[in-house]
Amino acid sequence: MAMTTDIKKGLAINFKNGTWLVIEAQFVNPGKGGAFTRAKIRNLKSNQVIEYTFKAGESVDEAEVSRRRCQYLYNDGSTFNFMDNDSYEQFSLTADVIGNDKRFLTDGIECYAMHIDGVPASIELSPKMDFKVITTTPGIKGDTATGGSKDATIETGATIKVPLFVKEGDMIKINTSDASYVSKAN
Amino acid sequence: MIYDKKTAIERNKLTKSLRSFFEKEKFLEVETPIMVRIPGMEPHLNIFETDLIVQNKKTKLFLNHSPELQMKKLLGANFGNIFTLIKTFRNGEIGGDTHNPEFTMLEWYRIKADYKDLMKDCENLVKTLTEKTQITYQNHKIDLKTPWEKLSCEELFQKYCKISLDQNRTFKQLKKTAEEKNFDTNFCKDWDDIFFKIFLNHIEPHLGKEKPTFVYDYPSTQAALAKKSSKNPFFAQRFELYIGGIEIANAFSELTDAKEQKARLIEEQKLRKKLKKTIFDIDGEFLASLESIQHNCAGIALGVDRLFMILMDKKNIDETLLFPLNKILN
Repeated sequence: MAMTTDIKKGLAINFKNGTWLVIEAQFVNPGKGGAFTRAKIRNLKSNQVIEYTFKAGESVDEAEVSRRRCQYLYNDGSTFNFMDNDSYEQFSLTADVIGNDKRFLTDGIECYAMHIDGVPASIELSPKMDFKVITTTPGIKGDTATGGSKDATIETGATIKVPLFVKEGDMIKINTSDASYVSKAN
Repeated sequence: MIYDKKTAIERNKLTKSLRSFFEKEKFLEVETPIMVRIPGMEPHLNIFETDLIVQNKKTKLFLNHSPELQMKKLLGANFGNIFTLIKTFRNGEIGGDTHNPEFTMLEWYRIKADYKDLMKDCENLVKTLTEKTQITYQNHKIDLKTPWEKLSCEELFQKYCKISLDQNRTFKQLKKTAEEKNFDTNFCKDWDDIFFKIFLNHIEPHLGKEKPTFVYDYPSTQAALAKKSSKNPFFAQRFELYIGGIEIANAFSELTDAKEQKARLIEEQKLRKKLKKTIFDIDGEFLASLESIQHNCAGIALGVDRLFMILMDKKNIDETLLFPLNKILN
């Protein structure tokens, strides 16, 4: 069993009878207290997300999880199907496991599959991904009612907030964890 | 980056209302510095450092993490009721929903007052900011009707964990009791570590969910600048305000005994050394000014971005800021 004190984003840990992926980790100094690490962790089997606060420097049991590149193929409503880039083996995951990430899945998109004991348990998207804007309204100069942003629909069908200068057909970079606009893609 | 003018307008309105509250209450607004030679001693905070260079002579300066020392110097100079609205800085605190390394702090001090008077100020301040008696924060209704909920640390540990802090005053006792009740005390090196590990995981997430909650009477070890409770000196006259599970403000009945204060600062300075943090001097002018504070007084620091985040129903502090560092670094 490997132990680590470095609780950071992307680390897989064995905790409370499960395997969890750290999706966010942050130092906090509560009131007049010592240093703690507040982590948001996602269960790799159930996709449940919880917060837990560890003492800074506390050792945790690192889980053996391998990340393998894969490609998204299609979904039939309740299951999402992928193909491993190296072995060409296909596998499917339930919609519950995919969770919010489904808004960024479109045919042929590449992501990582997280394998526990050789079995694909979950997927992980790149933190930032480029998408094409399919529809959006033209930006109107000085429009304060919309607060400097407008809705745009990207190729996956997801709608996100973008600055007024973004046009249909533009490629834009999106932060996949909170679906926020980052910049225009080059 | 999206620069959201609508939010900026809303925020500007709230800031104006903040000032109007203190004007109505006849507080003097004072400007406190961003760069200081001696910051507050808080043992666990990481502080931004810079150098002032004059004709090749360097002087170390720090970005202030709190205007507390400066405010108390003004109290000592008989300024009466004062407030300041400024940027403060904490290194390493970034990410999550509630941190940006530079943030807006509102601090106010009331003379001839104690921490209970500041609880009333908090209620009245929020009344000035919103006429609503109920708000929705992230799909959760919060009742703003006053008086707000008040729970002591002792009551909270009893309520959520069936643990009495008062009856478990030593590290050994608290560790034993907590472990008997199956609480995680891993890597806790002292009494405060166990307190916080339990508080952060099992108590804090419940706080201020239905209505704003004042958590009061903290263990004295966690209130270096506060007066001890007259009923039980194991606890000190300190409170924190929680709304929607988020810590908004921290207040004390201020300790004005210079001798006691000096002793506590020396302890904290030692602790900073032990934790391998930057060491700075004890501010002699601050200690001297405590002696000339003539009245009982109480002071409070409130995280303005966090309060606005709740009033504007934003999930992440970044959404209340035009230039959040988290987004800029991404």
